[in-house]
Amino acid sequence: MEESSVNVINLNQCDEEFIKELEKFGAEELKECIQCGKCASTCPMALAGLDFYIKRIIHAATLGLKDVLLEDSSVWGCQSCNRCVEICPMDVKPYEVIQAVRRAAVRVESCPANTYEGLRNLYKNGHAVFPKGFEERRKKVGLPEKPPTLVSHEELRKKFQEVLKQTSLADVAPFKLD
Amino acid sequence: MKQVGLFLGCNIPFNRPDIEYSARYILKELGVDAVDLEGASCCPAFGTMPSLDIEGWAAASAWNLVLADEKGIDLVTGCGSCYGSLNEAKHHMESHPELKEKVNQIYAKVGKEYKGTAKISNFINFLYESVGLENIKAKVKNNLNGLKCAVQTGCHNLWPSRAYPSNEDNTFYPKRMREICEALGGAAPHYSAITDCCGMGALRSNASDKSLALFKKKLDVIKEELDPDICVIGCSSCLLQFDGGQALLAEQKKLNYQIPALHLVQLTALALGADVDKVAAFAKIPLNGVINKIKGGN
Ligand code: SF4
Ligand code: SF4
Repeated sequence: MEESSVNVINLNQCDEEFIKELEKFGAEELKECIQCGKCASTCPMALAGLDFYIKRIIHAATLGLKDVLLEDSSVWGCQSCNRCVEICPMDVKPYEVIQAVRRAAVRVESCPANTYEGLRNLYKNGHAVFPKGFEERRKKVGLPEKPPTLVSHEELRKKFQEVLKQTSLADVAPFKLD
Repeated sequence: MKQVGLFLGCNIPFNRPDIEYSARYILKELGVDAVDLEGASCCPAFGTMPSLDIEGWAAASAWNLVLADEKGIDLVTGCGSCYGSLNEAKHHMESHPELKEKVNQIYAKVGKEYKGTAKISNFINFLYESVGLENIKAKVKNNLNGLKCAVQTGCHNLWPSRAYPSNEDNTFYPKRMREICEALGGAAPHYSAITDCCGMGALRSNASDKSLALFKKKLDVIKEELDPDICVIGCSSCLLQFDGGQALLAEQKKLNYQIPALHLVQLTALALGADVDKVAAFAKIPLNGVINKIKGGN
């Protein structure tokens, strides 16, 4: 976005196809938005001071401003808290719009690097969060070194990976699903 | 004996196994058989499969729901994100039968089927409804002796309410955790920022300073309005912020007080007689004041 006191939106940039893509990715009620701003009044992203917060993201989405949406990383700061979904008077489900933008963004590799780290951990170990040193921590409280999850069950882990291979992870992962 | 599947997630077994220890302890004390969900995966976390598409999300969540289906049990989790991700995925499949069908086409290839019979609860609702306040009271060994608690339910434990099988009467005025703390002998008043976000999660990963500033705003309200002995947290992610986040803010000289913080199951375990060294093995903020008070000091 250009820096100026007023951001003039160039409506020529509106991309109808992108709106359809967002709708396909779950932003089904996008066009119901009346820009009342209630979502922003309750959104942690907005309250924490991210400039491009939920109401503005929805605004840009309704106009199909693809570049604006894909270049800004604010959607990745969304807490998935669903306060906006709970409060929106038009049932736009603003959080679903955020997710739709993320879903479009990962397909053009416009996401923070930690997204891939989480996906890689999930595929490899069955856990997106997989910090080092857990064996010691578990021992300290008298628990077995490994929890009874996929880290303890190799056969099941392979099956889980078979499941993930059938999903869109196979298309977007920048690592091999082997 | 009542049974429930203990859904661990990631943060609890790997980062804070003291919560897992406490969860197992209280289930045993309360006469509930904690069934291990052998081969469970991540819920999956919101920044992973849910950010790729709904189908991938549903397929990954279904892995855990299928394990529960196979054992014929319901699940309970101490992590808000797990509670949210699993319930939302289930809700998506229930409201879109064609999605459930697609997921089952995937599962047919690994010889499994997603039925959707298992209910996913969090520890707040499990203690409140499945165990009940009277039964909890009856098991208290160390009365909390008026310990003043500031409760944090955690956003995923409340919203989106349409996806949840059980919830507060008013999700913007939560009472269940307060009542549980009171059943343990504590005091847990309402405060104005009770449903405010703690800042943990994607915000903390992608905009750490802003996340911690948002957290401090909430913490200052807690200090000003309640000046509690402890923060009691319903979600393991929020706990990481309340415990580790405070320690970090103090290190950065941005906080001149610290309030100990425990997960609801940890506090319950203390009241039910568990050993504090295990219950709070990885708490960063010392619990001396809390223990003193429970032992009858001021
Ligand atoms: S998404 Fe809903 S709450 Fe937000 S501005 Fe639009 S109508 Fe209002
Ligand atoms: S789900 Fe995301 S957009 Fe909605 S209120 Fe929470 S942080 Fe804001």
